[in-house]
Formats: sequence, structure tokens, C-alpha cells
Amino acid sequence: MTQRFDPIRLRRTILEMAYAGSTVHIPCAMSIVEILAVLYRSYLRLDPNDPDCPERDYLVLSKGHGVMAQYACLHELGWLSDADRQAYFRDATRLKGLSDAHVPGLEVSSGSLGHGLSVGVGLALAAKRRGTSQRVFAVVGDGEANEGAIWEALMFAAHARLDNLFVFIDANGLQAMGTTAEVMNMGSLVEKLTAFGLESHEVDGHDHAALANTIDELLASKEPRPKGIVAHTVKGKGISFMEHDNTWHYTRLNAQTFAAAMRELGPEIAAA
Amino acid sequence: MRDAFSRCLAQAAQADPRLLLLTGDHGYALFDEFRRVCPDQFINAGVAEQNMVGVAAGLAKAGFRPVVYGLSAFVPVRVLEQIKLDICYEQLPVVFIGDGAGLVYGQLGSSHQSTEDIAALRALPNMAILSPADAHEMTTCLKLAFEGIGPVYVRMGKADLGVVHAQPPLFDWGQIYPVAEGNGPLAWIATGAMVTTALAVAADWPGSPVWSVPCIKPLDAERVAAICRRHEAVIVLEEHSIYGGLGSAVAEIAAAAAPTWICRIGVADRFSERCGSYAYLMREHGLDATSVRRQVEQFMARNGLHSNQLAESRRAA
Repeated sequence: MTQRFDPIRLRRTILEMAYAGSTVHIPCAMSIVEILAVLYRSYLRLDPNDPDCPERDYLVLSKGHGVMAQYACLHELGWLSDADRQAYFRDATRLKGLSDAHVPGLEVSSGSLGHGLSVGVGLALAAKRRGTSQRVFAVVGDGEANEGAIWEALMFAAHARLDNLFVFIDANGLQAMGTTAEVMNMGSLVEKLTAFGLESHEVDGHDHAALANTIDELLASKEPRPKGIVAHTVKGKGISFMEHDNTWHYTRLNAQTFAAAMRELGPEIAAA
Repeated sequence: MRDAFSRCLAQAAQADPRLLLLTGDHGYALFDEFRRVCPDQFINAGVAEQNMVGVAAGLAKAGFRPVVYGLSAFVPVRVLEQIKLDICYEQLPVVFIGDGAGLVYGQLGSSHQSTEDIAALRALPNMAILSPADAHEMTTCLKLAFEGIGPVYVRMGKADLGVVHAQPPLFDWGQIYPVAEGNGPLAWIATGAMVTTALAVAADWPGSPVWSVPCIKPLDAERVAAICRRHEAVIVLEEHSIYGGLGSAVAEIAAAAAPTWICRIGVADRFSERCGSYAYLMREHGLDATSVRRQVEQFMARNGLHSNQLAESRRAA
């Protein structure tokens, strides 16, 4: 019996999709696997039969480059088929290389960075205005946080007291051209989130229990503020030769690297 | 026109609690009435337009009807990508109001002048563009925009140039209609504040029909082609760059369906050189009645067209 949203299986799905579609952006999907796994497994209130259920919680992937991790979760839900997984990135198929809201289960089209969080803020504001208990979980990249629009969104969310908004910063420390410290040193993100009015914590973004504890603590909070979680992660997590190596942001798998990566993840877990 | 806008907006918001007005800290007194009658539907999103458009997208996804107000120099131009991806790609029913379009904020300089907004938005799939000529067209335009079928941009130009219509005209998406009839050799097509100028100048070419275009996109291509076929030349007037606006749209239709002479009168490919009032800048850019008349005469002469009835009537007199 396997658990749904098992991180190893999600990573295997990511690798299979990336290999089948010969795509890049693998490491930025690997870094958010535990964040998405925790959210999908324990927190997101979804209708398994209706991705567009109007009362659902929202998972807004603002860093659209990590979409393969979300595809893997949608595959766990049964919203994407094995055929979808195999067809990813191919001509005339529906799964594009970046997050696209035309795919049931994806909430935003966030190929361009700095867009998704604001849409998530709008969804959170809508929930408040409609008087529903819906929550918005937004996942933002630390490189993406270079975008001014991210800080506009945080200012607005705090001003509007959107305590139903949970902003995860995937702090993997790498962005397209180098480390975040080299490219645009933003200092302490948790201090910045706090300064922008969010109730904020730092956490190991690959520690399932720590993530869950942090979310539980923030859910229990009575403070009328949006919540910030700076999740320290490793880009390429789980694949030794991808971890900390930014060239893999742009590198495709070949038969050898695919096999090596799959071997590192361990043997196939028996299906439930 | 601003009064009509303000009144219609407040009425629509009272009729539909889903309507939310978002502004990027602009429109101070314009929204007094709105804030008085439906304060809970007013959201000042601060000086942060990118977020404002994204928030509008989220609200629209969740069933609200956002109206996003800004100066046309900023909304749509500063947030073009948010409009493209967050709104148009999702085909969300968000109404954008671009105030002070063209050269209205003349003295403030290029930052506040907008002569590229139509061109920018015409290239976005799913986006409709409305450009009313007076308060009555504004009323009908807002009625269309609030139908909520998808993203709409309402371009609000110079507000105090008088009325073209006696009452709100009935028109539908894409429709253009004559505000002056005639079968003369020249046809005039104008939008926004330039409709009054077109009416004034076209009178010098007796028998010239003048068409107002409150809906730039979609545009009734068959009607435009028919106009192109019927007249020797078509003069298009707009307070916008000659690139990518209504003149371009008419020329595109003519090129594909009914080749004819198209004289595009608008802002040439340059910024304003000097500080100046609206009237001054309209002269600087050749958009006042005298300059328009001269440009049309030159266009006719340059292309060997012989329907300069103004000159003929002057000779006769």
C-alpha cells in the first residue's frame, strides 16, 4: 500500500515526463515536491471529481516553471492520465511547459514570473468577499521574488488582511543565471515577508513533518494577516547530480541520466 | 462623458453586487458618487497596477465582475503583460477603463499621454476595444462592456468637446454607424474625441458621410469594406498613433477586401516635443480642424485625386 503524493513517486513521475517530453526545468520542479505533496495530501480541500468545484481551495503555482511537480500531483489525483504524462510537451497535446490555467487543476497561467501571486491574492479576496472559508496556497520562487509585482501583491494582501492566503517561498537559492545571492541578493526573505505584514516562518522545505507543523500553526493563528512560509529547499532535490548544479535548469535527460536519476530514487514502489 | 461614465458605473454596481471597481489610486472626485452609493464595491489597490490587474483576474475567476480604472497611459500600457496573460488568455470578464486617452493630459508630458493603447490592445486575442465619442456613446459602450462576455477596454478621451448624439445610440459589438450621411467622394471614419473634428471638417466636402466607430475591436469588416468601395477615398481620424490604431484597422480591411485610398490622420511616429495644453498639442500633432483640413487637401493632391470640393467651391465663390 503506497501513500498518495509520495514524494519519491512524484519525483519519478517528474522524471518520466521530463524524459518523455525531452524538457528542461527539472530541478525547479524537484525543489517543490514536498511542499506540493503536503498541501495536496493534507490541506487542499478539493472535489476529486471536479477540479473546478467552486468551493475548492486553490493551489496557485506562481513559479510556473515548476509545473511538472504539479502535473505529478494531478496525476496522483487521476486528473491527468498516464497517456497525458507520456504525451507531455509533444506536438498537439495539452500539457505545456509552464503552468497553464486551461488545464483542469491548474489555477494560473504563470509562464511569466511575478503574475501568479496577484491572481492568488484576487482569489483570496474573492473568498473573503463571498464569505467562504476557501484558502489560497501560493508557491513563489525566490528568484521570482525579484519581480516587483510580488511585493505589490504582498503589500495588498497584508493591507486587505487576507488571512486565508498562504505564501510559500521556494527558497532554493538558485535562479536562472546563478545563485540568488549573486544575481540579486535579497537578504532575509522571512524578514521581508514579516516587514510586509505577513505572519511568517522559515522551515525546511523538504521536511514533511516540519512543513505540516508550520502550516498547522499558521492555520491555528487568529492573526488577521496573510501567512508567509519561507521554505528552504534544494534545487534538483533527490537527484545527486542535479542538486546545486544550475546547468540542469537548462539540461535535458538522456537515456543514461534518466536511468541514473531513476536509480537514485530507488526501486519502483508497488502500486496501491 | 466622465459624468456619464461615473453615473453608469454607479448604477451598474448597484444593480450587480458582483461589480467591483478597482483603481490604482486614481480618479479622486470621479468616484464620489460610486463610493457614496456602494462603498463596499470600491477597492483602491494602491499605486501598484501590476498587482491590481492580477487581483482583478483572481476576482473574475471567482465570479466577480471587476472594473479596472486607470489613466490610459498606465492601464493598459504599463500592465500589458498582466492583461495579456492573466485576463485575455483566460478570457475573463474584466472591464478596463483608460481615462485621459490621447493628449488629454497634455501639459504633464509623455508619461501621461497615450497614443499607443489601441495598438497595444488590438494585438491581444479576446480583447474588445470601445472608444466612445461622447457621453451618449459612453453610455451605450458601458452597457456593452458590463455584459461581461470577456475582457473589454473602454478608451475615455477628451470629455468636454460636446455631444455628437442627441441620445444614447443603439449599436452592438463591431457596429459602426453614420453620424452624417452622404454619397460624396470622400468618406470619413473617426473615433473618440476626433468624431466632432471629423464632422466639422467633412462639412467642407459636401456630401461626405461621417462614420463614428465606438467599437474598434471587433470591427465590422464588411461595413468598412463597403465604405471603401463606395467612395473615392476614406479619411480616418483618431487621437492615437497612426500605427496600429483605427486607421491601421481600416487600411488592413481595405488591403484585403476593397483596395482604395486611405488617409490616416493621427499622431505621427513621435512624442510630443513641447509642453502644452490639449488644444496646443492637438495643433502640434496636426489634429486640430485646420491641420486636418490641410492634410486631407494635401493627400488628395499628392495622389491625384480630384474631389477637393472645398477648393472647387472656393473657386466658384
